Amino acid sequence: MKKIKNYVYKIQKNDFTNAGKVSSEIKRTLKKIGFNNIVIRKIAVISYESEMNIVIHSEGGLIELGIYEDKITLFIKDNGPGIEDIELAMTEGYSTASSKVRELGFGAGMGLPNIKNCSDKFEITSDTNGTIVRSTIFLE
Amino acid sequence: MKRTFYLEKDKCKGCTNCMRKCPTEAIRIVEGKAKINDDKCINCGECIRVCPYNAYNAISDKIEDLKKFKYNIAIPSTTVYGQFSLGTQICKIHNALVGLGFDYVYDESWAAELVTKAIKDKVSEDINARPMISSNCPAIVRLIKIKYKSLLENIIEIEAPMEIAARLSLERVLRNNKDLEKKDIGIFYISPCPAKILSVKEPMDKKDSYINRVISLKEIYGDMIRELKMHSESCFSNPSLTGLKWAISGGQTEACDFENSISVSGLENVLDILEEIELGKLDHIDFIEALSCNGGCVGGTYNFENPFVANSNIKHILKKTDKGLLLNDDVEKYTELKSKGYFASKIIDKFEEDRKPNIKEAVEKIDKIEQIYDKLPKLDCGSCGAPTCRALAEDIVNGTDTIDSCVILKLEGN
Repeated sequence: MKKIKNYVYKIQKNDFTNAGKVSSEIKRTLKKIGFNNIVIRKIAVISYESEMNIVIHSEGGLIELGIYEDKITLFIKDNGPGIEDIELAMTEGYSTASSKVRELGFGAGMGLPNIKNCSDKFEITSDTNGTIVRSTIFLE
Repeated sequence: MKRTFYLEKDKCKGCTNCMRKCPTEAIRIVEGKAKINDDKCINCGECIRVCPYNAYNAISDKIEDLKKFKYNIAIPSTTVYGQFSLGTQICKIHNALVGLGFDYVYDESWAAELVTKAIKDKVSEDINARPMISSNCPAIVRLIKIKYKSLLENIIEIEAPMEIAARLSLERVLRNNKDLEKKDIGIFYISPCPAKILSVKEPMDKKDSYINRVISLKEIYGDMIRELKMHSESCFSNPSLTGLKWAISGGQTEACDFENSISVSGLENVLDILEEIELGKLDHIDFIEALSCNGGCVGGTYNFENPFVANSNIKHILKKTDKGLLLNDDVEKYTELKSKGYFASKIIDKFEEDRKPNIKEAVEKIDKIEQIYDKLPKLDCGSCGAPTCRALAEDIVNGTDTIDSCVILKLEGN
């Protein structure tokens, strides 16, 4: 089905001042469109975890929110350095976050597993150029 | 009824103070006067608080309404005990109410202690919903209904202490006065805020309140002070210390004593926390006490005393009251009341929120708003009568305002 709208949000590396703003913005947009609570909550969690992943672990990146008649897609792309062992990164509780980041309350190792759990469809690819996550939520 | 206060138009200067403070952007300045959108108003009372011209007035019942009933019960909000000079005994406050014509005073703190137990049970029974949000502040429940619908299922659906107090006091009075019938009895709640007045006049669970009349504390404060001075005799009445804590921010949290909880007060702070919950950041928290007024219910607009002073007064009572003293025996009846369903409440109608959006139309509308917003100066000056440039853009797309309202664009010659 044809994409109705695409929103692009850029995210900077290590930008803890603005961290969370993109996910709040996405949430606000979805609320305005009028999606139901379950959809909004799932996307809020996916976008927040992704945003924090980009801020903490990557060289910066972006989130694209795609609105369709029957689904919502999130395309999350960063500029590296990539995930060495994706399977390990997908394990709940596994984290490469530094102790400084953990002190801020992040890096519990729930990011990627959380994103996957909230997605109806989830794909991840990663190499040294960066990581790409494609997450889809189907609308009933 | 959707609102328990009104604007005295003659006093309103159209100054934008209330419009800027309103957490749901429910206020616009139209033709130089504030105009409230009742569908968005949560009755938090911020506009009443910030108005420099005292243009907002409470819609409150009057002490004269006592005449309408054969027998009158007063239920003072727990905050009432913080409104008089340090060391004022609770029983003297009760006596003052009797002096004003009430036949019986029932302490809200007793009911708050019972509700504390009910909250504890609910939170430990319902382990899948996290975090659970207290429903004690009606302004916050309405805020969630309007702005944070995805959090509706996190709200703890439990009857408010004032309703439990009304029900138990009524039963007690009927038991002790065989010649009275329910219709003879007037139950009056003394309220610290417009939100609780609305909860009596228009209960969220859509069944009738057990309270018959509700008076703002400011409405009878003068009468109470004068009456208080006339009662010097010593007396005896015990609040529940667990329940009394509910008057101040952090009190419910302390009373419930969960492993992980957050107590937050003041609308701006509450908005931040609700935002965090929606992003899934607080799923590890068991219980959130979110109160609309800074400092908790002692910060309610209809209180007389400064909230920090009232807080100190309440803490003084908490410290000085003998914990071992006997309370009203209703407080011991938790298990019985629970099994009879006293605490059950249906605040949230989950089905009312489930609708299918017209995505295309909504996206087009958002695009239009963005296009207009781009043209606006983004100063959020409020001169147009809307709280922010974005709000004006929305109003224009909704057809309730035009871009000509923007004073800055006009000055720039557009």
